[in-house]
Formats: sequence, C-alpha cells, structure tokens
Amino acid sequence: MSSETDQMMRVCPLSQLARGDAMRLETRPPIALFHTEEGELFAIDDTCTHQDASLADGYVEGCEVECPLHASKFDLRTGKVDAPPAKLPVRVHTVEVLDGDIYLKESEEEPNLPPGITVDGHV
Amino acid sequence: MTTAPEKLAAQGTHEKISESLISTLPGYTYVDEGVFEAEQERIFEQMWFCAVRSADLEKPGSFKTVQIGRESVIVSCNRKGEIRAFFNICRHRGVKLCMEESGQAERSFQCPYHAWTYDLDGKLIAAPNLTKMPDIDRHEHGLVKVHIREYLGYVWLCLAEEPPSFEEDVMGAIEERLGDVHKIDGYDVANLSLGRRITYDVKANWKLIIENFMECYHCATIHPELTEVLPEFADGLAAQYFVGHGAEFGENIKGFTVDGSEGLDVIPGVAEDQDRRYYAITIKPTVFVNLVPDHVIIHRMFPMAADRTIVECDWLYLPSVVESGKDVSASVELFHRVNQQDFDACERCQPAMSSRIYAKGGVLVPSEHHIGAFHDWVMDQVGDVVPESSHGVRKEVR
Ligand code: FES
Ligand code: FES
Ligand SMILES: [Fe+2]
Repeated sequence: MSSETDQMMRVCPLSQLARGDAMRLETRPPIALFHTEEGELFAIDDTCTHQDASLADGYVEGCEVECPLHASKFDLRTGKVDAPPAKLPVRVHTVEVLDGDIYLKESEEEPNLPPGITVDGHV
Repeated sequence: MTTAPEKLAAQGTHEKISESLISTLPGYTYVDEGVFEAEQERIFEQMWFCAVRSADLEKPGSFKTVQIGRESVIVSCNRKGEIRAFFNICRHRGVKLCMEESGQAERSFQCPYHAWTYDLDGKLIAAPNLTKMPDIDRHEHGLVKVHIREYLGYVWLCLAEEPPSFEEDVMGAIEERLGDVHKIDGYDVANLSLGRRITYDVKANWKLIIENFMECYHCATIHPELTEVLPEFADGLAAQYFVGHGAEFGENIKGFTVDGSEGLDVIPGVAEDQDRRYYAITIKPTVFVNLVPDHVIIHRMFPMAADRTIVECDWLYLPSVVESGKDVSASVELFHRVNQQDFDACERCQPAMSSRIYAKGGVLVPSEHHIGAFHDWVMDQVGDVVPESSHGVRKEVR
C-alpha cells in the first residue's frame, strides 16, 4: 500500500456504489460520496450549509448536486454553491480507487455546518 | 330482421305503483348531504373510479389531481414513465401537497410547509433533519399509494384497502351491455387519440345524470339531432335497454355527426355487425362509454357535491385522424349537443328533488323500468342512511 493511502480510510469496494448512486458516510460530520453517471467519484460534506438536509439524497447532474430541500446546487469538484438559499460552500474530500476499493481522505478545513448543527449532530 | 334483442326485465324492491309505473328513488337521495357523504364513502371511495386519461400523463413528473369521494388524489408519472397514484396529503402534518389540477413536478413532490420531499414513487427522500431521525422509515412515511389499473387508455383508481374485482365490476359492465367483453376490443380504445375534450360543470346530482344516460324516453323530445341519426331512438327504448344491441344509423345518414354527414375514418377493428351502429355502456359508478364506427366517447363524472357533478367528456379518434388535423367538429358537435341537452334536463330536475311534492320520488314508465335496477343498487349501498332533513324534523318535535 502506498504512503498516500496510509492516511486514507477505506470506504467500500467500488462495486458497491453503482454509477448514478450516492452514499452517506456516518463520519463526523457526515460525508456524501457520489459515483456519477459519467463514472467519476466525488466526496463532499453531506450536510447542506443552509439547513440540515442530506446532499446524498440530492440530484446529481453533471458535476453538480442539487440540494433536495431548497435546490441550491453545489459543485462536486470545488464545493462552491451556485445560488441561495445556501450561501457557504461545502468541503471537498479526496477520493481514490485502489485495487477496486474506494479510499477517502477527509479535508482538514473547518466545515460550514448549518445553524444548530455541530460535527456531532444537533446542538 | 335479425334476432330480436333480449329485453331486460325490470326487477327489484321498488314500489310498483300501477301496471306501467314503478317508483323512482325518493327526492332526498338527490339532495341530502348525509346520503351524498355515504355515497362518497361507500361508492366512490370503494369502487374502481376512472380518473385520468393515461396519455395526459406521459412525461416524468407530470401529474393531475382528482377528487374521488372526499379525497384528493395525485396521479402522476414516475421517472420510468409508469403511472403512480397517491393520496394528496403530506405525511408530516397533513398539508395538501398539490393544489393545482395538473402540473409538472420537477423531480419530486415537496410540501410547502416544512419541505418534506417525496420522489415520484412516493418515497420520502428528504426533510429537514431527516438524517438525525434514522427511525423514520422512508417508505412507511412516504405518500400513501392508491390502487391502479390501466384499461381502455385510462387510469382507474381504487381507494379501498382491498379493491373489488376489476374484472367483475368494470369489465363485467361492458360484458353485461355488449353481451361479450371482447366486443369492445375492435375499437382499440386504448390506442385512440384525443380529438376533443369538453368539461361540463353540471348543477345536478350524479344519479340524475346516470338515470338520464340510461333511458331514451326523452330522446325524441330533447335530442332532435341524435334522433335524426338514430331513428329507432324515437320509440324511447335506449340502447341500454337491451343486451348486445346497437342502435342503427338512419338510412340516409352517412356518419355519426350533427347533420348526418360523413364521419371520420372508421376504426379498422370494428366488426361488420357493429358498423353503422351506436352502443352505449354505463360503468358504475361514474363512466359512460359510447361506441360508433369512427370514434369512441368517454364520459368521466366527478361528483363534487350532492347538487354538483363535473363531467369530463373525451372524443377519441384514430391517431391518424387526429394527426392529420382533420375537422372533427361536426362529429364532436353531435354528442356535445346531446350532452348539453341532457345536462340542462338534469339541472331542471335538481331543484325539484327537495320539493315536498317529490318526497316519495317520481315514476318510471316501462321503457325506463331498467333504471330500477340502478336504484336497487344505490339503495343496497346507502339505503340505511337516515336523511338529515328528518333529523331536522325530529329536532323540531322535541
Ligand atoms: S437545505 Fe439545502 S438549500 Fe436549503
Ligand atoms: S406538513 Fe408537510 S412538511 Fe410539514
Ligand atoms: Fe339524452
């Protein structure tokens, strides 16, 4: 195993996340992992920065996920939000596939959680 | 002459008044709120109810809302193009999800109150703080599904927990009228296209409309154009008086049109003995079907109140006829006039239903006696309901 993957956490076999699917990881805070129709993998914070909605339940179109509650869209590559009601970006995490397994390295930035939410859940 | 059509014997529990006359339903059954509520609960919310034309819901997310009994129902098309139907009620705190009669949902149905969000299969897919409540089962708290059948190009819904047999109730009604359910197959109704739709807001009880549709004692008086096309209607015996009998077009009549002019292209599957004939079927509780060689007319009733019924009427033609933009107006005009004439008559009956003179109802002449079977059926469902007007009387007595 390479030194990079040493600090990465193994998530699951790639075969468990079909194209077009997303999964929510119960990390703190939770992370959403997307396998797009085009075959790309992305990981961002799962909780929308506007209110407590799970972006893994959102709709992916191209490289964007639309929040299922109030339709702000987040760029899966940069975490940037396109338009209100959400204003702050989500963090983007590093994803890699090694020997058929998905690995993830969490961003070290501070997450932008919506009001009333901490990394452990509700205040 | 061909074989004499089989005559339906009138039978039942209604009062025989004289050799020729039997009684109708009492007047209160057409106006009483309690009776109407019982009909909503025991008839419209229990039986298969023809709700929407399937072709009106072809795009994923397209939806219609329909009133069935006391309930509002969303009928929609999911991502795979399959039809789904749900009670129009948010599972959180009961908000009516869709207020529009029809529309296009983007990807989901979202409640305007706290944003509970349901996918096009009704599953709860998002809600504020939903992930913090892992005990909420997204299927169990999804929209409540309604039973669905697609038949004759329409979506039929049943709100009952255990739906009655579709084969017996719906297909059975066709069998009963045509003598064989497959006699409708040749009209290929499911694959016809909509040429015209007219919606009528009728200020009359739904039963008056059914009774009107079942008899032809009125035809020579109020339907001059129809009687011109179907001369045998002048004798007052409706097509629905018989089994397997279609009323024949008059000699000089070219088509089923307002002036007897040429109709549209004949539906190829129509059998030789069905050509130049008109068939009419009532499918209880709210559907009328008319079959003629070049088109099919489907009426769907939506009883809204004891004294108000919305009737949506579709004229269906071969797809090639509709695509070519051929003029269907002479064809539509015939039954549109019939509808107006009939609904006017029903609206003129409605006010008398609460009159003291009509407390025991009116009478049916022999050519209307088959309506007695409909009355028996109604009384089987709601005959036990004590009219609210008599509650009033009791109060006064006290
Ligand atoms: S919760 Fe995401 S936009 Fe409102
Ligand atoms: S009532 Fe629908 S979300 Fe609250
Ligand atoms: Fe009529």
